[in-house]
Amino acid sequence: MIRQSTARWSLFLFVLPALALYGLFGIAPLLTSMVMSLFDTSRTADVFIGLANYVYLFTQPVVSARFWNALGNNALYFTIHVCVEVPIGLLLAAFLTSGTLRRSEGIYRTLLFIPTTLSVVIVGFIWRLIINPLWGVVGFPLLGTAATALPTISLMGVWEYFGIPMIFLYSALIAIPDDLVEAARIDGATPWRIFWGVKFPLIVPQFGLIVILTFIWTFNGFDLVYALNGSAPGPNYSTDILGTFFYRTFFGSSGQVADLDLGATVATVIFFIMLLVTAAYFWLVQRRLRAHVA
Amino acid sequence: MHSKGTGLAALTLGIALAASAAPALADDVTLTLASWRTEDLAVWQDKILPAFEAANPGIKVEFAPVNTNDYNAAIQSQIEGGSGPDLITCRPFDVNNEWIGRGYFMKLDGTPGLENFDDTAKAAWSTGGSTYCMPVAAVLAGFYYNIDIFKELGLSVPTTADEFIATLKKIKDSGKYAPLALGSAESWQLAYNGLYSIGPAYWHGEDGRLGLIDGTKKLTDPDFVAAIQAYDDWKPYLPSGYQSLGYADMTQLFTLGKAAILPDGSWNINQVTSTGLNVGVFGPPVPKAGDQRYLQEMPDMGIGINAKSAHADAAKKFLTWVASKDFQQIYVNTAPGFFAMSNQPVSYDNALAQAFSDLKKDAKLTPRLALDRLSAGTPPLDDETWRMLQVMYNTDNTTPQQVAEELQKGLSSWYKPQMAK
Repeated sequence: MIRQSTARWSLFLFVLPALALYGLFGIAPLLTSMVMSLFDTSRTADVFIGLANYVYLFTQPVVSARFWNALGNNALYFTIHVCVEVPIGLLLAAFLTSGTLRRSEGIYRTLLFIPTTLSVVIVGFIWRLIINPLWGVVGFPLLGTAATALPTISLMGVWEYFGIPMIFLYSALIAIPDDLVEAARIDGATPWRIFWGVKFPLIVPQFGLIVILTFIWTFNGFDLVYALNGSAPGPNYSTDILGTFFYRTFFGSSGQVADLDLGATVATVIFFIMLLVTAAYFWLVQRRLRAHVA
Repeated sequence: MHSKGTGLAALTLGIALAASAAPALADDVTLTLASWRTEDLAVWQDKILPAFEAANPGIKVEFAPVNTNDYNAAIQSQIEGGSGPDLITCRPFDVNNEWIGRGYFMKLDGTPGLENFDDTAKAAWSTGGSTYCMPVAAVLAGFYYNIDIFKELGLSVPTTADEFIATLKKIKDSGKYAPLALGSAESWQLAYNGLYSIGPAYWHGEDGRLGLIDGTKKLTDPDFVAAIQAYDDWKPYLPSGYQSLGYADMTQLFTLGKAAILPDGSWNINQVTSTGLNVGVFGPPVPKAGDQRYLQEMPDMGIGINAKSAHADAAKKFLTWVASKDFQQIYVNTAPGFFAMSNQPVSYDNALAQAFSDLKKDAKLTPRLALDRLSAGTPPLDDETWRMLQVMYNTDNTTPQQVAEELQKGLSSWYKPQMAK
């Protein structure tokens, strides 16, 4: 009895530091901003106004149009990342684990991961110069037209971050027991068949996880767009995503006065969008996946 | 024991010294001056304040700058908390109107020195017929041009819109240089250095601006549409791929000698001459020969007195000095690109700054169109102007008329004097 309760206490003690930090810097600000979204704090005394900020966000014609525009752009931003970045990561991970590279595997792995370690500001600056119509290699103003600007920025993001799904899937692939692959080979399966019939099913849980992580990263995205196009990302808000929309609302931009309460409202809405999608994914998909038991 | 005794003696001596010095210090008033110009710290400490203190014995001023992005929040929290500096550097227009409304400032009416400024200069810091801040400096907008390229192609400085377009065409036809160093990736400068610079000649400066504010004029009026049209007329003369060229690209294009004309603000004086080019400046062209010239003079900062300051008289003395030629002569020459707003002649050591200042002669001055009251709601007219000018430049099918209609629609959705009656 005594021993068990001591164990429980020490368990709590071990968790406490992390819990305290997480509570202080994770949960507390989240709750504060949720509370803040229900108040009008711009006057001398804070006034409780219920859901008025939410009503304003979704009914004020200009503000709601910008919000839906940012949400739509964010969906496209995510889609491009998932459809390009994750397959590239998978391809390179498969390539690295295929055994054809032999001893140079480590070199390739490092080289391919380097972009991920670069600062966003540097990546934005370099790409901006590369595609600059005056000094760069592309004559077409890729960032200057509404149709091409967001895909261009998304692909810069892909270039920077494909190393993450690559390393993620790579570590899943090398964990696959050799005997499974061996057995398939003896049965006469082609490498193509081995990959899709044996290896891929075994890494589906990690594959799903990287998709949902990409969702979280892109819907939390801000830095690359801000580095390239500032806080009112043009042309005509065609590269505005939820992160920049929030930033503009909360911190203000040159022509826009900062509105802390509305900013908190936007942050809360973004949080619930991500919570719903992530929860749905874990509920519907991840829960049903089973790890391979040798 | 021994050391303790010496310590006590020293302390007594110290008190005695302090007491003897006290009568002289008692008359001294120390004022604090808050500012967002951290980069000006040395200028104020070494040049400006010693000059003031020499002329006004008994008043000391301490320059206390805060980072520009934190400035508004810092001032607000200090004053709301009951403290705050004696002297507050004032932002132009809407932020300051908000502060005036909250009772931060003392009225300056009747303060000697205020008569050196005309109404346009005081507009950014006035409301209800009273002025609350002494104007300090403004920035101007105009057109830098490469004198050597103009000579080589035998061009003269254009004064009318038609001449301007003809000049652009000649430069384009020469095939050697880009006529205009202008890109539309950064939309702010389309408004600030473009439309708000050439537009006043069409909407008649303050007439048009104040007309929008009191609701007697609309952005869809022919004058405003003509101004937007004049800006749209530049489109064929922009460098290729201009849709994604930023402000730094424009400056580079010009300073590398690859473009003849750069529409820009006075704050960029040091950059445009950094490569040793032979640079001149001309003002916005007028619609027809003989028309009144206009120039954009954007108030950048003023200084006001904290309503709760215990040293109001000393602070007023300081502001009177700030309004004098002595101060302005020092300030504008340590910060090229900033211009005195008073009606007293000030000379500039920087030749290009002097040329810029000379553009003010015979020109009617007006600040940027949309920053006074018209941007204090959603959507802010200023942001909308940036956006729509960029749309006009970056798409093929947006007409000046459509731009004007969209701007008017946004403004009349919230700004009471413009709402449909």
